[in-house]
Amino acid sequence: MAYSEKVIEHYENSRNVGTLDKEDPNVGTGLVGAPACGDLMRLQLKISDDGIVQDAKFKTYGCGSAIASSSLVSEWVKGKSVDEAQTITNKEIARELSLPPVKIHCSVLAEDAIKAAIKDFQEKRAKRQAQAVVAPKAETPAQP
Amino acid sequence: MNHFEVFGLAPVLELDVKALEQRHRALSLELHPDRLVAADAKARLSALEKTAALNDAFKVLKDPVRRAFYVLRLKGVDLESEGGAARAAMPMAFLEEVMERRERLEALKARGELAQARALADDVAREQQAALERAKAALTSDDVAEATHQLGRVRYYARFIEEVEAFEEEASS
Repeated sequence: MAYSEKVIEHYENSRNVGTLDKEDPNVGTGLVGAPACGDLMRLQLKISDDGIVQDAKFKTYGCGSAIASSSLVSEWVKGKSVDEAQTITNKEIARELSLPPVKIHCSVLAEDAIKAAIKDFQEKRAKRQAQAVVAPKAETPAQP
Repeated sequence: MNHFEVFGLAPVLELDVKALEQRHRALSLELHPDRLVAADAKARLSALEKTAALNDAFKVLKDPVRRAFYVLRLKGVDLESEGGAARAAMPMAFLEEVMERRERLEALKARGELAQARALADDVAREQQAALERAKAALTSDDVAEATHQLGRVRYYARFIEEVEAFEEEASS
């Protein structure tokens, strides 16, 4: 099957391949897979406290379209707010890369990866905030 | 007609591949164009279509992995399609495990460590076999969710092994 030029471009010169520190409280990690093809995609977003995506790294094991889809979204999300990043749809990804119908699932995977990464970040933050509320009480001895 | 019906079989997970092969040959002969020189165009076309269906069925049924995927499909879950349900069936811990293995393999490939990559593939092949057995047990007891999960594992493991094989081929060429 012939890949579109944009897919080849992202495949050969993938942007933002790599990893961010999973333990960093500002990093959200999204790991998604498609059992239909055995593709695996990990997208990590570094999100500032005011909710802006500052950095994005991905690692994808799969076909050219899956790699291109993740490379593309890693570029798209940078500088966006979390709310804006949430609205990226697989349709936009598929259109940008001219994916054929059999490869639409690659763009779905990329959309899912964004949402999973944001969800992970938000859950981390919620946990941190819950601890921040509880912690001072636990640390401070009972006041007379 | 489903693939089993083409061979006059009920859907089963275990079958005698030798017998299947013989049946395939016999049925192919019956449909062979040489036998139909006197037949009209419609009959010949129908024989061609039946031959195609027969070959498709044979390809799927002779392979125990594809056979199991097919039995699952007959139970309503098509792991070849992109259903969200099938995707959700894979637990996060499993995806993390595969990711970690993939990264290890990538590092081995970068260093040209063929023997270690082969050892990884052999481990994975054992787990693939175990997952396939669990999938078959689940299919037998009609536990579709468990069968979906186990066959999902089989698929990821298969991809991993293919990756190692591609590496070996590349290294030997």
